[in-house]
Amino acid sequence: MSNFWKLTPVIALTTAVALVLAGVLMALYIERSYKAQKIDEVGVQAAILASTVAAALVFGDHEAAQEYVDALRVNPEVRTAAVFDASGTLFASYRRSPEARLPAQAEAPGTRVAGDRLIVVASVRQGDAAFGTVYVETVTEPFTRRLERYGVIALLVTMAVVVVAVLGVAQSALGNANAELAHRASDLATANENLQAQIAEREKVEEALRQAQKMEAIGQLTGGVAHDFNNLLQVILGNLGAAQRRLQRDSATGGGEVLRHVEAAIGGGERAATLTQRLLAFSRRQPLAPKPLDVNRLVSGMTDLLHRTLGEAIDIETVLAGDLWRTSADANQLENSLLNLAVNAKHAMLQGGRLRLETANARLDATYAALHEEVQPGDYVVIAVTDTGTGMTKDVLTKAFEPFFTTKDFGQGTGLGLSQVYGFMKQSGGHAKIYSEPGHGTTVNLYLPRLTAAEPAAPTGAAALRASPAGAADELILVVEDDPGVRAFSVQMLRELGYSVIEAANAEAALDSLRRSPGVRLLFTDVGLPGGVNGRQLAERARWLRPGLRILYTTGYAGGPIVHRGRLDPGVELIGKPFSYFDLATRVRAVLERDI
Amino acid sequence: MHFIRSTIRVREVGRAALAIVLSLAVPLDVAQAETAPLELAVKATYLYKFAPFVEWPPIAFATPSSSFIVCVVGDDPFGDVLDRAVSGQRVGDRPIVLRRLARAAPGCHILYAAGSAAQPVHEIIDSVRGTPVLTVTDRAPDGAKGIVNLVVQENKVRFEIDDRAATASALVVSSKLLSLAVRVRPRS
Repeated sequence: MSNFWKLTPVIALTTAVALVLAGVLMALYIERSYKAQKIDEVGVQAAILASTVAAALVFGDHEAAQEYVDALRVNPEVRTAAVFDASGTLFASYRRSPEARLPAQAEAPGTRVAGDRLIVVASVRQGDAAFGTVYVETVTEPFTRRLERYGVIALLVTMAVVVVAVLGVAQSALGNANAELAHRASDLATANENLQAQIAEREKVEEALRQAQKMEAIGQLTGGVAHDFNNLLQVILGNLGAAQRRLQRDSATGGGEVLRHVEAAIGGGERAATLTQRLLAFSRRQPLAPKPLDVNRLVSGMTDLLHRTLGEAIDIETVLAGDLWRTSADANQLENSLLNLAVNAKHAMLQGGRLRLETANARLDATYAALHEEVQPGDYVVIAVTDTGTGMTKDVLTKAFEPFFTTKDFGQGTGLGLSQVYGFMKQSGGHAKIYSEPGHGTTVNLYLPRLTAAEPAAPTGAAALRASPAGAADELILVVEDDPGVRAFSVQMLRELGYSVIEAANAEAALDSLRRSPGVRLLFTDVGLPGGVNGRQLAERARWLRPGLRILYTTGYAGGPIVHRGRLDPGVELIGKPFSYFDLATRVRAVLERDI
Repeated sequence: MHFIRSTIRVREVGRAALAIVLSLAVPLDVAQAETAPLELAVKATYLYKFAPFVEWPPIAFATPSSSFIVCVVGDDPFGDVLDRAVSGQRVGDRPIVLRRLARAAPGCHILYAAGSAAQPVHEIIDSVRGTPVLTVTDRAPDGAKGIVNLVVQENKVRFEIDDRAATASALVVSSKLLSLAVRVRPRS
């Protein structure tokens, strides 16, 4: 079919040429046959004249000869007719008009065409004897008259050619239009496919973005709530701690009953503190202290703890990669994360099963990074935690990292375990990824960025002395805290530890106190302070007044002026809220005794 | 014998190849004067010029190449004029032979009956009647006429044709010749 469309112009052209050729041939044929016919006609007339005039010529009858010649006048085409005798002398003649000229002498028999005149000379014979010649000259049909006839043919041929040409052009245009349409349809289909692919791609990305935004929003919310809770818990736990210590000293007076209540309250408060810690972890606002870390050592060090957590029904298997890259992370939070995952696995394997911890090096390429929100391509240390439990449905999988989402029965879980993992991994520059299939179990991969600097791994799990290092009266500490409850509690704890303490509610008051009390050794300040000068700025000004002044920060959440990208600036000492009596004693002692 | 007088009408009929004789007879103005030399020369050429317009039956010739014989019987009026006129002429492929005879004899194809005391014209005519001989007379003193009879009209030599006699002699005279004749006696 398409060949036909392509051939149409050729066919049309060929037909048109053939038509024109046929027209020309027809005209030529008509012209030739017309001439031949005329020659025949005039020849016949000359022969008749020659025959009839023979006797008159032979016997010299001029009158008779003239009559025969004159008889030709009935043919309007005859211009001249003449009879010559054997000696070539004119015997009789006829001229239609005076302009018509007679030949001067007899011509040889024959036919010739001169312009539009046709001349036939025939010999006059009787039997075998020749007696002379007749001369007949006719005017052929005027060329204009013939042209009119050919004009009709030309017109018909032209019309036919035009019809053929129009048909050919129309067919050709139609063919081209068809081809163009097909081409465009194909283009359109391709464009549509591309568009569909782009739409699908965009939908995926948008979905991921929405998820990320939702997580971020929830993170903001929970972070804010957790911060406030931390301050409240600091007051509650601090006061409970003070009450506990007082009761312990006075145990002889029979305060044992009250002491048990206080200890129970402290236990509850600490669990609450753990919850807020997890919330902060999810919102990536927990202050992290990342240190170079040997993940293999951390994982193998945890197996005992995991055994106790999971119970006898679950086997623990560790597969540790040789030549594992080092990474940098907050070891406590990583342990927390692994514990959270182990607890989740236990819930998925109520009938028993196997938990497998595997470490590996992984290189994530750009393709992988493009498919995952907030993932940078590069080298990572992977900890894969795999259980043989019930697995997750796709629906559950998409919500697994959301805080307060839990599949556990009411009261059995907080829904913050995986959220803590998610937040911690993000804050550590890595990410977490869940693979799960209902009925086959779940694998959670924790990706921590490879550490390339050649720092030795710090020993983990070093046993800390439970004894609280005490201070001395000549060690003056300036406590700056806007929250009166927290400030009062902090001051009280430091005084109990033996330090001398002065306090301030904001940066201005703190700088005042510094100028008045030259003996201040340590500035213990909250990061977030009212009045336009934050803890960090206060510390800088204080250092300017007193070079060598020791600084210890405290804060309810990270993200403030001393934390950048979730990590503490180097050399900054921080104690997170809520802190315990022991924590505070240890950190203050350490800061005071550290070399500057 | 009735001859028409109107030459024009006879010629028109002759062109139409019709020999219609109208019965309007006019007596010949016969002048037995001395024949002019020019007239005699014309008549001499006429003798052989009739030949192409007349068909002789095949038996008139012994062979296809036999000569065409022109005879002058009686007192010859032509002399060497006739010899000169005939000289070199042919009838078809046949050479023309001229014979001068005292009396009519067989073998002639065209016979000019001049007549003589010994044999007047009508006897000559009678003697060859029914044979394929084209007899020519020219103002015979006894008024006898052959198949062709020469006459002079308006100072021109003309002729009458007796087509009936020609047919009787097994001769076919061309209608062209008949149309030129001043008088024609039709075949029937």
